[in-house]
Amino acid sequence: MAYTPQYGPGTSIVAENRRKQMNPNYKLEKVRDVTDEDVVLILGHRAPGSAYPTAHPPLAEQQEPDCPIRKIVKPTEGAKAGDRVRYIQFADSMFNAPSQPYQRTYMEMYRFRGIDPGTLSGRQIVECRERDLEQYAKMLIETEVFDPALVSCRGATVHGHSLRLAEDGMMFDMLQRCVLKDGVVKYVKDQIGEPLDREVSVGKPMDDAWVKAHSTIFHSLAGVAFRDDKEYVEYIQRIHALRTKYGFMPKEE
Amino acid sequence: MGKIERSQKLFLDALKEKFHGQDPKSVNTTFYNFDGVKQSPRKREFMAATKAIEQKRGISMYDPEHCHLGGIPMGQRQLMTYEVSGTGTFVEGDDLHFVNNAAMQQMWDDIRRTIIVGMDLAHTTLQKRLGKEVTPETISEYLHILNHAMPGGAVVQEHMVETHPGLVDDCYVKVFTGDDEMADSIEKQFVLDIDKLFTPEHAAVLKKNVGKSIYQAIHIPTIVSRTCDGGTTSRWSAMQIGMSFIAAYRMCAGEAAVADLSFAAKHAGVIQMATHLPARRARGPNEPGGIKFGLFSDIIQANRKYPNDPAKASLEVVGAGTMLFDQIWLGSYMSGGVGFTQYATAAYTDNILDEFTYYGMDYIKDKYGVDYKNPSPAKLVKPTQEVVNDIATEVNLNGMEQYEQYPTMMEDHFGGSQRASVLAASCGITTSIATGNSNAGLNAWYLSMLMHKGGWSRLGFFGYDLQDQCGSANSLSMEPDRGLIGELRGPNYPNYAMNVGHQGEYAAISGAAHFGRGDAFCFNPLVKITFADPSLKFDFSEPRKEFAKGAIREFVPAGERSLIIPAK
Repeated sequence: MAYTPQYGPGTSIVAENRRKQMNPNYKLEKVRDVTDEDVVLILGHRAPGSAYPTAHPPLAEQQEPDCPIRKIVKPTEGAKAGDRVRYIQFADSMFNAPSQPYQRTYMEMYRFRGIDPGTLSGRQIVECRERDLEQYAKMLIETEVFDPALVSCRGATVHGHSLRLAEDGMMFDMLQRCVLKDGVVKYVKDQIGEPLDREVSVGKPMDDAWVKAHSTIFHSLAGVAFRDDKEYVEYIQRIHALRTKYGFMPKEE
Repeated sequence: MGKIERSQKLFLDALKEKFHGQDPKSVNTTFYNFDGVKQSPRKREFMAATKAIEQKRGISMYDPEHCHLGGIPMGQRQLMTYEVSGTGTFVEGDDLHFVNNAAMQQMWDDIRRTIIVGMDLAHTTLQKRLGKEVTPETISEYLHILNHAMPGGAVVQEHMVETHPGLVDDCYVKVFTGDDEMADSIEKQFVLDIDKLFTPEHAAVLKKNVGKSIYQAIHIPTIVSRTCDGGTTSRWSAMQIGMSFIAAYRMCAGEAAVADLSFAAKHAGVIQMATHLPARRARGPNEPGGIKFGLFSDIIQANRKYPNDPAKASLEVVGAGTMLFDQIWLGSYMSGGVGFTQYATAAYTDNILDEFTYYGMDYIKDKYGVDYKNPSPAKLVKPTQEVVNDIATEVNLNGMEQYEQYPTMMEDHFGGSQRASVLAASCGITTSIATGNSNAGLNAWYLSMLMHKGGWSRLGFFGYDLQDQCGSANSLSMEPDRGLIGELRGPNYPNYAMNVGHQGEYAAISGAAHFGRGDAFCFNPLVKITFADPSLKFDFSEPRKEFAKGAIREFVPAGERSLIIPAK
């Protein structure tokens, strides 16, 4: 019997949004345009237009061992070219940022190839070959999983996800990598905090109604209370009870 | 599950003080206008002290305005003060770093320098092998000699060097026994009076467990255990015990029976506070990684002082445990870092864990009729999976909602690891108190973790991924995993060994099971009695108050060297 992913439990809008983000058959809504060059500037790994630094020669130019796995797994474009591995890291505000750390990881695992995500409470990093990363980053910034005020690209010094918002609605960032100017959020530093030669616009912050409708975090003050999604809570209780009784080979009673 | 009404919010005063003039429920605030690192009086003090140090030594030192993030100092947000929970004392965060807090250091010093040695084996050797008479009078005389020798006084040989009593005044030996007649016959200065230190019910249980045996509660000098290590404690103590027996009972210093006394004092009659660790941890006995959680709950004495408040008793174990296991053990011993201070402080500041735990107390009283203020094994709930799930779910959801409803509290516990530990601890402690079963408490901890992760799509640092997502499966798996009950687990238990934000709370979950039952001790009655001693430098019945005293620089520690260094 073919397995059909369910992408998680829950009857709430939060649960539904989580499923949408994870489901690769759902097309994430494009909300803003950010040029390829601007993505490269925010990432801060290479100068726009410069060649991709490499970690090894292109696969076509090097002797590949006779490995059955390499025959099965098709390399990504970045891997083919021998790109080095670089990263993008996001901090997501708990005040209804449209994606959240574990959610990002789940989403990326379903949608991207050749990635190495890392999940913490205040940040989520995904590492991969550089030219693949630029494609993924563009999607992560341009679509509904991003909000200019509540999500930000931060290589280091990520403190802010759990803080109150600034008076202008921006998430705290001690490096102030992006600022709200004339209603538009502009990056003045790259994700690691190096000043940019020019500002990079990532568009207007989404309004309250939009972020509530696209939230993937339960929050009794800012959105949907976890308690109110009974199916979700019961699912976690069930998983816990099954693991307690059967370890990681759960059986239904 | 089902939310209950609780109007009291124990954290509110702290939040109002910390975020002065702001609504604790506010969602927005101002940033970037706090004058950076200079907003903190303690940081300003550090900067001023640095100037003098640099002038004196000619080498640069603390320079936060230059060295932090290439010139962007901390303090772009408000640098908060903290109330040490349950004390009303507000302190700077820096004052809770163990380097800056003499009380924290002394708590660990007092544990590391303690050893318990039974006297029965030695008395048997003296009586049966050597035909010596052992009476309360000879025991008192021996203790007199031992209290001269243990700090570093010579007792047998000529022309010996000795230690300055002013440097080792924290060193002494007392004894205890369950034999009232014997206890009454030994000089009072040397006796830990169980009847005076414990409630009548607890005293009776403890004395029954000790029986007619006599134990020495030994505290070697702080300065010795600091210069050497915890493994030294039994050796230093055994050496002085051997010499004191020789002196008190007029033995030949070289006769073979001395070896029996030495063996008893070094091995056969010794109770270490911590077992030695495997070679990869490179620590001997009496170092933090070997302290079993049940034993640690016996070291902390809050249940002796507050027998009708198991929640407070547990919270004091959390405070002491997170300080020792997170700040000192994992934070510095193991990681080699400056310390994991703020992982730990979240659990014992601003009354946040206290509030979540007392919500749990109200819940188990309301839902299950557990009269937690009158602990008794007869009044507990059977620890079924359904009960664990119900309690942990409700206590956890309440905690998450409190964080959400009070954004200043979320800002206070700005790290996911802090919130994860606090939420899970409240669930674990509540469940332990309700059921009297520490593994039920641990199981509740792990449900809290899964629920937290499900609700907020985040948890703590990577270490939480490791142990908290497999914890459901190992909290009750005694046979398949060769698992242990909570009391017998410790900081070096598989999966626990490198994870900050857990061990102090686990210790409290172990203790809570017994505090909820009204037990006299959790794991070892001898340890419970030994740390009830009012002569100890650190008051183990009030660790959080002691930390607060340390933070405001009112705690007087041992091990000072001012006697032997130039006066400033």
